[in-house]
Amino acid sequence: MVDIGGVLQGFAIALSPVNLLYGFIGALLGTAVGVLPGLGPAATIALLLPVSYKIGSPVTAIIMMAGVYYGAMYGGSTTSILLNIPGEAASVVTCIDGYQMAKKGRAGPALGISAIGSFIAGTMGVLGLTLVAPPLAEFALKFGPPEYFSLTVVGLFLATYLSGRSVLKGLIMGLLGLLFASVGLDPISGAVRFDFGNPNLQSNIDFVTIAMGLFGVGEILINLEESGTLSLVTTKITHIFPSLADLARSWWAMIRGSVVGFAVGILPGGGAVIASLVSYAMEKRFSRHPEEFGQGAIEGVAGPEAANNSAATSSFIPLLTLGIPGNASTAMIFAALLIQGITPGPFLLKERADVFWGVVASMYIGNVMLLVLNLPLVGLWAQLLRVPYAFLAPLVGVLTLVGVYSVNNSVFDIWVMLFFGVFGYIARKLDFEPGPLLLAFVLGPIMERSLRQALLMSSGSFAIFVTHPISAALLGVGVLFVAGNVLRRRASQG
Amino acid sequence: MRSIRGVALLVAALLLVGATAALAGETYPAKPIQLIVPYGAGGSTDVLARAISQVAPRHFPQPLVVVNKAGGGGIPGRVDVVKARPDGYTLLFGWGSGEDFVVPHQRSLPYDPFKDFEIICRMSVHSIVLAVPGSSPHKDLAEFVKWAKTKEYVTASVSTKGASVDITFLLFGKAAGIKVTTIPGTGGADAVTKLVGGHVDFGGGHPSEVLPHIKAGRMRGLAVAFEKRDPSVADIPTFREFGYDVVTAGSVKGVAAPKGTPKEVADYLARKFKEVSEDPEFHKIMKDLGQPVMYQGPEEYMAWAKKAFDQYGESIKAMGLETK
Repeated sequence: MVDIGGVLQGFAIALSPVNLLYGFIGALLGTAVGVLPGLGPAATIALLLPVSYKIGSPVTAIIMMAGVYYGAMYGGSTTSILLNIPGEAASVVTCIDGYQMAKKGRAGPALGISAIGSFIAGTMGVLGLTLVAPPLAEFALKFGPPEYFSLTVVGLFLATYLSGRSVLKGLIMGLLGLLFASVGLDPISGAVRFDFGNPNLQSNIDFVTIAMGLFGVGEILINLEESGTLSLVTTKITHIFPSLADLARSWWAMIRGSVVGFAVGILPGGGAVIASLVSYAMEKRFSRHPEEFGQGAIEGVAGPEAANNSAATSSFIPLLTLGIPGNASTAMIFAALLIQGITPGPFLLKERADVFWGVVASMYIGNVMLLVLNLPLVGLWAQLLRVPYAFLAPLVGVLTLVGVYSVNNSVFDIWVMLFFGVFGYIARKLDFEPGPLLLAFVLGPIMERSLRQALLMSSGSFAIFVTHPISAALLGVGVLFVAGNVLRRRASQG
Repeated sequence: MRSIRGVALLVAALLLVGATAALAGETYPAKPIQLIVPYGAGGSTDVLARAISQVAPRHFPQPLVVVNKAGGGGIPGRVDVVKARPDGYTLLFGWGSGEDFVVPHQRSLPYDPFKDFEIICRMSVHSIVLAVPGSSPHKDLAEFVKWAKTKEYVTASVSTKGASVDITFLLFGKAAGIKVTTIPGTGGADAVTKLVGGHVDFGGGHPSEVLPHIKAGRMRGLAVAFEKRDPSVADIPTFREFGYDVVTAGSVKGVAAPKGTPKEVADYLARKFKEVSEDPEFHKIMKDLGQPVMYQGPEEYMAWAKKAFDQYGESIKAMGLETK
């Protein structure tokens, strides 16, 4: 059932010197931004978008970007453990027990177990991707306009619902994303909307521009405020390799984390952040010493770190087989692929097997690289935290300006980016997450197109969304999920 | 001593190369030329553009870079080219498609397909194939029409709204006396995916788009909207063979530059694309793709295009499809 030829072809591609090099650069960059607080994988991939067009081969470009994404999952734990500051969102829960471990002088094992957990989960994730993606690509042909519409609705709803603390704020950002996506020409008939007489707005807002603004510029502005010096756990980091007792305690946590992470990552709107939260909750429930959670339980580090890694890997499944990105980072990779002339979707595996298997194989290799990179280099990564933000911020700022300009050679795009930078800053100050906006911006055109196509098919009847079984099932899952959450929230309040 | 002289020579040589490069910079083309394809990747226009860019290095001193600007019914990509600097570095690839010959008869567009472009040449003409999913029970067009007449309406996936495929299928519906609802998307590849998945009753597109799927049994070609059979899909009969007068100019794939492009640049491009059209390797690639090579120079193409434009105009008027 497994396409051995494809896997081998993939390894041949991934092992070519150029791809190895870019895979390594991606993984290294990813780890670095994972370590640095305030620059997440989504922002980094956004910064790399303009570069990716120039790399030439689309396989190479996506190998690098994928490396950034799962590399960040490896690196994100470092600052969580040493500083109690998550390097990126998916490592928030790692702070809870990781930092406690570090305070008790067990920073070494905490860092070690997160690297090992990440490796095991990453490898299991890629294995799952190898097995699940091909049959799923075949299944994906059953997705027509009504199915796509329901999928995007549910995905967007889950993403906004789960992204931040406030559902209302998430929904508002999602709706704004849909609104920004409708600027320019409409996706079915090409009618002009919201151009305000400005010809620059007639061609739709560029994804790179909005992503760089929200994530690149927005994050710089936010971080400039917090210029206080960081207090590193200064005790010497020893015993990176966890003891046998630690390994025994974490083993099942890592396996469970990998499996849960994989499942959550496949869901639209899922992804690493939710996966890590689910895994932490699960470990706490499964643990024989739940009282240790929050006091430095090693399972509380191992599980979530494994989960976020396998979720990062499995979120490539809907991207590559359905052409539906599930989160901001995969949305960036989606855009990069489209610009490279590759349409992710059911035919990718048939028509561009080289891209598909090349990327999958590069993930196997990338995981090994990351393990080698992380175990001995943890000390070095901690040093990276000493680079003053005063040097980092202008560098990132210049990169965003040059990057956005280079896409269309348009000064107007720079203004649009700055607008979204300020917008992103204000939104964050008010506790509005920019993630749902960006995701809605990407899914908006797909959603609108499939809605209108489905209604053409049904001659205007909305019943088509419930009479088609897959579409109905998707909507059902969405409703159940939301209902379940609402009930739980009620219960926890009352 | 010798090594110093060697270094001096090398430096002199490098300077010379630099100087010639600078001089050459004055002449067109001094940097890569962008071919804007106003549709998604994988459609027939995109594939043709990529075939050209593949053999281009033998004919152009600079690479031809294919840039996909999909969506919006093919309009945004064209708007980009109209707005681009007329310096010969941004070209529209696919001029002569429905957005240029068909859509203008139906509604107003943010550009004029004839006045806002400098027409360079024609590279190919794509016929339009009507196909059904591989799982469909219908073996030929007559059977299909008989079945369709029992339905309230039938759905058809088409590349973009108002494009030649869209109009052709509406023409067919009118000729056969069935109600056809066309479902437009982002381009040929998108339309084909919906057809293969069985989400529509029929669909189709250009031979290069449907041929791989017909060969793989994922769809079945029933008819071609051409005057006579298209050599790239020779075993598919024409609509006329079934008694339906559905004949169109097909979808024409030409190259155009923004209005105001210098004459010597336009002439240079027309000459170079002619060279490409005579390249044996290009012919081999095109045969594999199922696309005929049908080059026409600027004047010849312009005259032919005006005729095709008027022919579509008459069909649309006859069907009462103008909504202007």
